[in-house]
Amino acid sequence: MCEYLAGRIEAFDGLYAALGTRLRAYLLSLCRDSSVADDLLQETFLQMHRSRRTYQPGRPVAPWVFAIARHVFLMHRRGSARRVRFLERVAAAVGADDMMRDDRRALADVDAVRRALRAVPADQRRALVLHHVEGWSFAEIADRLGIRLNAAKTRAFRGMRRMREQLK
Amino acid sequence: MSAPNALRDLVARDLAPARPLAPPAVRALALVPIAAAIVASVPALYELRPDLPSIGALRAFGFSIAQAIAGVAIVAAALRESVPGRQWPLAQVIALVAGGLLMPLLLPGLAAQAFDVAPPPAGAVPVGVACFRTSALAALPALAASALLSARAFPLRPAVAGALYGLGAGLIADAGLRLWCEFSAPAHVLAAHLGAVILSMALGVAAALVSRRR
Repeated sequence: MCEYLAGRIEAFDGLYAALGTRLRAYLLSLCRDSSVADDLLQETFLQMHRSRRTYQPGRPVAPWVFAIARHVFLMHRRGSARRVRFLERVAAAVGADDMMRDDRRALADVDAVRRALRAVPADQRRALVLHHVEGWSFAEIADRLGIRLNAAKTRAFRGMRRMREQLK
Repeated sequence: MSAPNALRDLVARDLAPARPLAPPAVRALALVPIAAAIVASVPALYELRPDLPSIGALRAFGFSIAQAIAGVAIVAAALRESVPGRQWPLAQVIALVAGGLLMPLLLPGLAAQAFDVAPPPAGAVPVGVACFRTSALAALPALAASALLSARAFPLRPAVAGALYGLGAGLIADAGLRLWCEFSAPAHVLAAHLGAVILSMALGVAAALVSRRR
């Protein structure tokens, strides 16, 4: 870990080799989905990298990394709950009751949502999907897109407004 | 198991040497000058409590200094809470908060001639407001410094970290206030002194949540 802090990529490889399997098993026990566990494993190592200076030399690495992994899982779970709420809102907007009664109409509605989403400008659509569908926080979106936090919020908000207008 | 190339490349691009943060107790020492300034400035800006000759300087200053040290220790606990893998168990968080909240309740009585020294009825509200406002304002510098120190780490439970450093900052401010305020009546202590400490805790929680979202 100290070599990793000193900036050696081989040390990162060593950490991944030493902890990857155990971390994946831990994440799998939490989320019970193999592909999600793989994603969370990558996210855990990314978070670990971003917060590497909080590691205190001389202390065991495992509790530090596993605490980060648990946090990553909890953030994922919160994002999933948000995604479910979004899908419920979309379902309500396109008439969920009708979808249950009439498959053909349901397909048309889903198509309408897709078309509405396509009509949203690309930068707004990206922020909208990352936040409401994939469950990223605005801070993470800002980080990922290299924009300010408020810009991420504004893009997602405008994208949602545009989509609603399209669906009317 | 080897790292996927995309992840490895991402890490490699950003892999500059990083200096680890000092241990929480060492980082909390940065708060000592601020705590000393707060404890000294409240009586310096206003006046020393009028019953100081009868209770003795050692008793008055001793309890205030003890409470200020406890405040810094609780901030150190908050900084430890801000390090992944070093979070306090819930029982210890509750014990820290309960112990911290007990101090402003007990110390006024211990540092006064009796547990029921109350302001005159006509002045109870203005005196209470003055104590609450002064204590809340005096806590702000320590609160801001603690929030910065905590945000430099990676608090996984920001509300807990914020509550702890808010409590610590509130205790430091109340320690200064005790050198000015001689009242120990339960109503005054609960509303003005404990109230200000609880407000400081709430501000700490808010600060930690806001800094986390950013």
